[in-house]
Amino acid sequence: MERLITKLTEKHVLFTASFAIRLTLVAYGDYQDRTMVVKYTDIDYHVFTDAARFITEGQSPYNRSTYRYTPLLAWLLTPNIYLSMVFGKILFIVCDVLSGLLIYRILRLRGLGSETARRVCSLWLLNPLPMGVSSRGNAESILAALVLVTLLCIEARHLIWAAIFYGLSVHMKIYPVTYALPIALTLRTFETRSEENYKRWRWRRFIGFMGSFLNRELFLFASVAGGVFFMLTALFYYMYGWEFLHETYLYHLTRRDIRHNFSPYFYMLYLTTDSRWSQWLGLLAFLPQLILLLVASWAFYSDLAFCCFLHTAIFVSFNKVCTSQYFLWYLCLLPLVIPHLSLSLKQGVGLLLLWFVGQGIWLGPAYFLEFEGYNTFLLIWLAGLLFLIINSSILIQIVAHYKPTQTSQRLKVE
Amino acid sequence: MYFVLIYALACLSTCHCHFIEKGKNENHCGLLKQWLKSSLVSVEIVKEGFHREVVTTVELSPDVLSDVRVLLVHRWPRGVFVDPYQLASLSDQSDWQILLDSAIDLEVPAHKTVGFVTYVYPSPDGPTPRLLKVTIPIHGRYHEPSFVELLLRTEKCTQLNNKEPYTAVVAPCTPDNSSTCQWVKLQHQQERGAMGVQFPVGDGSLVRPVCGGTLLVTVLCCVALSKHMWKHRIIKQ
Repeated sequence: MERLITKLTEKHVLFTASFAIRLTLVAYGDYQDRTMVVKYTDIDYHVFTDAARFITEGQSPYNRSTYRYTPLLAWLLTPNIYLSMVFGKILFIVCDVLSGLLIYRILRLRGLGSETARRVCSLWLLNPLPMGVSSRGNAESILAALVLVTLLCIEARHLIWAAIFYGLSVHMKIYPVTYALPIALTLRTFETRSEENYKRWRWRRFIGFMGSFLNRELFLFASVAGGVFFMLTALFYYMYGWEFLHETYLYHLTRRDIRHNFSPYFYMLYLTTDSRWSQWLGLLAFLPQLILLLVASWAFYSDLAFCCFLHTAIFVSFNKVCTSQYFLWYLCLLPLVIPHLSLSLKQGVGLLLLWFVGQGIWLGPAYFLEFEGYNTFLLIWLAGLLFLIINSSILIQIVAHYKPTQTSQRLKVE
Repeated sequence: MYFVLIYALACLSTCHCHFIEKGKNENHCGLLKQWLKSSLVSVEIVKEGFHREVVTTVELSPDVLSDVRVLLVHRWPRGVFVDPYQLASLSDQSDWQILLDSAIDLEVPAHKTVGFVTYVYPSPDGPTPRLLKVTIPIHGRYHEPSFVELLLRTEKCTQLNNKEPYTAVVAPCTPDNSSTCQWVKLQHQQERGAMGVQFPVGDGSLVRPVCGGTLLVTVLCCVALSKHMWKHRIIKQ
């Protein structure tokens, strides 16, 4: 068994095999689409392709209803029209395998041995979930690759490249904007506190704290990332107008999906859609997310990969809308965290099973509501709350068993 | 949600009518009316939940000529919608084509939208078979009545007199919506019993416990997670 794992995770074998498996899935998906009633390809892929078709005809991609992404994606997929429908899927699986390579690089930079790094990588490369998502035509792997390359560049201190990729990733999806605080905390001037300094007046410490943000590196990062983001926004606003801003950003910020989804808030938002409390409740629901993100940033900014993982997991779990696609946003960062977890294999597998059980408990009543017409709204609501409790417990276990690298020290509270 | 009535319509295409042809014309138009009267339309809703299929079966009378064109008009309530992209991919595999009277918003809730009309053209390019079956996939918003009208037209019936109980109705000739034609419709030929679909809705009376319970659990999870994150925070040396 051990020899098999070693053989399988040899560098060339691993990356080649993972690409080959994904390619096979794409080919199978094409076959299933042509011959069976239930299609393999996700509806999103057809949305992207239709939007790309509008672009090739010189029109706005937003003519395609439910296209709520950056025009960049539709532009990237124009070869779907000119070359072949399968181009987009190939692009997504390449980004998927690239993400695996980036995970490997980051792990090596953080001091992991080559063999261990490859084994951890295989958790992403040979994982059926990202395989399925990319081969079905979802674009999540592009964002996973962008986030990972940003982290890699920050670890390797190539700040300008990191800023460019960061600006690009925020342009593509809003959620990486939450990483801004931990990145800022990482890049600011860090002053070692001596006894003397600690005894100073509070306001002097506060000024010192605020002042630490004014350093060259942070300024460089902020201006390049901000520049990239605003340039892209300005370009697409010029090309497609208000509709671009609304569909790509504003819709996601004000989105209230009253249809059932994993979010614990779904039923509350559905029942209060037209009530006058709806705005206040929306705002209230935003608070736990905000508080947790602030605490996570401050507690873990020195280990950026772990901090970003926590950020994304918290963001998704406490969000007003949560679908299974969002899980990939933090699953791509999980391999970076795993080598530092002091959980036993049994505990790890137990947590994983718990996560799947939580989803299963939700999916049951959801199926009966959507496809059999039973009124299971209450059960779905309770399952959503349970899923939140499960996610929080898993995150607490991860936080409690995380052993950071040697350069930082954990605060021990006895 | 209550219901479906069936109308039969026959349609004439507008073209020039010569005096000599007038006699023949009246004969064809009369035939159309006869066929309408003797045709049977039935509607069935299958599947459960928010995704249903409306199966409309039309049995034309045996003496109907194959050059007669059939049009099925469905008036849908705002509680359901059809997915134009799904229909486009279905039309590749089926022998009917559909035309929608307005753009469909796939996501808006029922009370924020209006109903719409679909025009289904069975076998638009070939001869019309005697037995037609059209399955339209619909998705739920919630429920209100829908009803079906059967309309017929033929190239040979060019001028229709609007005598009760038959009426001439203007509708698109073909699915590409390039021109309109006159179709014949039979009013109140058959009345069917109430047909409806039911979709589950949230229980509005539970607003307070749901809001309270949700906020309680989210706040508790937030506090627990914050506490543990702060307890195990990493101090940079």
